[in-house]
Amino acid sequence: MQIRPILSTLRHHKLTAILLTLQVAFTCAIVCNVVFMVVNRVHRIGVPTGIAENELSVIRSTGIEKNENAQAQHAADLAALRAIPGVKSVVAVSYSLPLNQDESTSGICPSKQALDRAIQLNSIDGSGCLEPSVYDGTPGLIDTLDLHLVAGRDFRPGEYVTQGKPPVTIITRALAQHMYPGQSALGQSMYDGDRFIRVVGIVDTLLRPNLRQPGVDYDSMILPQLPDDSVVTYVLRSAPQDRQRVLAAAAATLVKVNPNRIINPKRMQAYSQIRAAYFQRDTTMIGLLVASTLGLLFVTALGIAGLANFWVQQRTRSIGIRRAIGATCGDILRYFQAENFLIVGAGVVLGVLLAVALNLLLMTHYELPRLPLWYLPVGALVLWALGQLAVLSPALRASRVPPVVATRSV
Amino acid sequence: MFDYYLRLALCRCRQNVPMMLLLVLTMAIGIASCMTAMTIFRALSGAPLPGVSPYLHVATMDAREAVDKDNPDYKRPDSLLKLADAKALVDAHRAVQQVAVAQSLTRLGNPDGDTSSQAYGLMAYGPALQTFGVPLRYGRPWTEAEQSSNAPVVVIDTHVAQKLFGTDDAVGRSVTLGQRSFRVIGVIAPWAPRMQIFNLGQNAGGVTGQDENFFVPAQASLDAGVGPFTSGECGKDAPVVSFQSATVAQCRWMETWVRLGTRAQVDAYDRFLAGYANAQHDAGRFAYPPQATLYGTQAWMTLNHVVPDDVHLNLILAGGFLLLCLVNVAGLLAARFLRRQGDVAIRRALGASKRDVFMQHLVETGLLGLAGGVLALPLTWLGLWIVHMQPVSYADAARFSPDTFVVLFALSVAVGLLVGILPAWRVCRQPPALQIKIA
Repeated sequence: MQIRPILSTLRHHKLTAILLTLQVAFTCAIVCNVVFMVVNRVHRIGVPTGIAENELSVIRSTGIEKNENAQAQHAADLAALRAIPGVKSVVAVSYSLPLNQDESTSGICPSKQALDRAIQLNSIDGSGCLEPSVYDGTPGLIDTLDLHLVAGRDFRPGEYVTQGKPPVTIITRALAQHMYPGQSALGQSMYDGDRFIRVVGIVDTLLRPNLRQPGVDYDSMILPQLPDDSVVTYVLRSAPQDRQRVLAAAAATLVKVNPNRIINPKRMQAYSQIRAAYFQRDTTMIGLLVASTLGLLFVTALGIAGLANFWVQQRTRSIGIRRAIGATCGDILRYFQAENFLIVGAGVVLGVLLAVALNLLLMTHYELPRLPLWYLPVGALVLWALGQLAVLSPALRASRVPPVVATRSV
Repeated sequence: MFDYYLRLALCRCRQNVPMMLLLVLTMAIGIASCMTAMTIFRALSGAPLPGVSPYLHVATMDAREAVDKDNPDYKRPDSLLKLADAKALVDAHRAVQQVAVAQSLTRLGNPDGDTSSQAYGLMAYGPALQTFGVPLRYGRPWTEAEQSSNAPVVVIDTHVAQKLFGTDDAVGRSVTLGQRSFRVIGVIAPWAPRMQIFNLGQNAGGVTGQDENFFVPAQASLDAGVGPFTSGECGKDAPVVSFQSATVAQCRWMETWVRLGTRAQVDAYDRFLAGYANAQHDAGRFAYPPQATLYGTQAWMTLNHVVPDDVHLNLILAGGFLLLCLVNVAGLLAARFLRRQGDVAIRRALGASKRDVFMQHLVETGLLGLAGGVLALPLTWLGLWIVHMQPVSYADAARFSPDTFVVLFALSVAVGLLVGILPAWRVCRQPPALQIKIA
């Protein structure tokens, strides 16, 4: 296969060849970046929460009675909810659950010295102090959410408090490692500014109510603090297929126990809905990005096929002559394929540079990570394959041009 | 001449229908994707309160007191103030107009107690209606005397008035708000900022503004047991407060908005604000250097990422998509025109100037662009409908408006001409004699 004749032919079609090259370059640059964005978002929405997501249902109740005894009400509600058939366990929490966006955080330090350091620095960065999300709830939280204790123990009944602040906590493994790098966090006393909190247990994974940055998304702690407000969230665990029925029964039960409350139907959800709501924007964006990627590739393929078609029509006579002087069908086919390979190749080289430039541009304006370099050869291969596929039909048609065309005038 | 070129173009389009369809469709897809992204972007840019918000500013400062001292970081400006500070700023009357507000959500009932309506509204200290330019339908806003005497008065919107009383003009009636009865002194037309501007620090992804169904003096509302929607930032030893609690004395929950006309007024108010905040710090109330700053509405929204980055990214992506479609069509057009070099050569030989040939080809591509625009219309509508169906916060912004139509028309003609320039220039460049020989 000779490259020279192809190049000299292309010299006669400079404008069209350049436009096709540019098109391939733009496609390569955009598709590489868009696919990268899609992969990032897919990773993001797949983040594990650490809880038994498809067995949990959540219902929020807002008491509107004046001077009601919140504790007594919660206890009565919990007892009634527990009696619903299909409910394996139920707990009350104030409001926070992973990914439900109702967050409470607390600045906390591994030691008193660390806090002094933070005050000196006028920043918690670099002091060793952290800002974990704080979860609370009635006894049985660990089991109901299906958290895995990897060290230590669950809270003892005597450790739960209603007013004031509890002296013990269970923290996530991530928080333990960030708080006490290289040592065991179990039994350590953390300092929050006015008192010490002892770590009695460590759970494997518990995601925050709001994602921040990948490094700190699992910095959570659980306090044995009972919800003490007329607004309370009940978390029910049941078999996945029972969730809808359990939710409906729970709403009816709560109203029966005490009708002086508001249950917003929007706040009656299977946990999977909470998760879906949190990532709604990402899911939509993924759909949009995938659709536009396919659209881009389709348009590019159409462009390549359309141009190749034109060229085959235009060169019918030259093809006939080549056939007449001895070129085989295969020669003609390979000629068009090689031509496409060269044009797409030039486009891809330019496209790779553009892709990196576009990524750098997006990185400065949006919170996007750097494009991993292996995307570039993969993108190039995909475009080469697309080009060959698009050119196949016109090239086959060209290869079927009979030698006798050479003797006709066009 | 123009209609001759038009007829020529039509005639040529008929000669190769599949190719023409391909060209038109490619342009239509590019235009439609760009229009969809642009419509959403336009709906989410511009002033949240047209004619008013360009002059509105929000006061921010690190107003944390000793009891809040658990985290010395002040990473982003905080607009929440205690009621006392908000009152002090409003009562100073240093701006053209000023008001402190907090979002509230409660139930409004009629006196019989048989009808009630869940309503969002603003608790305010100061002339809220005047500062935000809320249009009054009936009645009047509350006076300073009513505010200082904590009179139970309220302004509702026609939506609530209809629901509770079956009439728009509810002035003089009573509504139950919390544990007290409030007298309706004014009725406003339904009002919402185009985008979220209130309490952005605790905004969880809302983009389009909230309908505010009622306005009530803050102290009167607290007296009736109705507090803000979120308790804001409360001190460490504050009693546990939550959603709608009226026990907010230890919390920072109000935002102070001021209306300022000129640059000089803004600068003067900035100095006043810094002076106030520093005085509080020096007196030992604010625990940290307050870094008081005044933010314009737009800057404040940008800082708090009200319009999600996705919307900008979509616009960039759609622009890239359109660019690609243009390059694609330009390539196809070039090939298409160059195949007809023979015809061009004959026209040139018969005396047509380069300019004539250039114009002829531009008319043809302009026509194709217009056809692309016509096809893009239903595609844009489809794209907006798809976005509208998505349960994302900015779905409401995806609506087809008449000015979209004008933009689309202009865009499609521009696209048609732009795409034709290179190929048309190329085809009229060759000397006529050579082309006749080729032909």
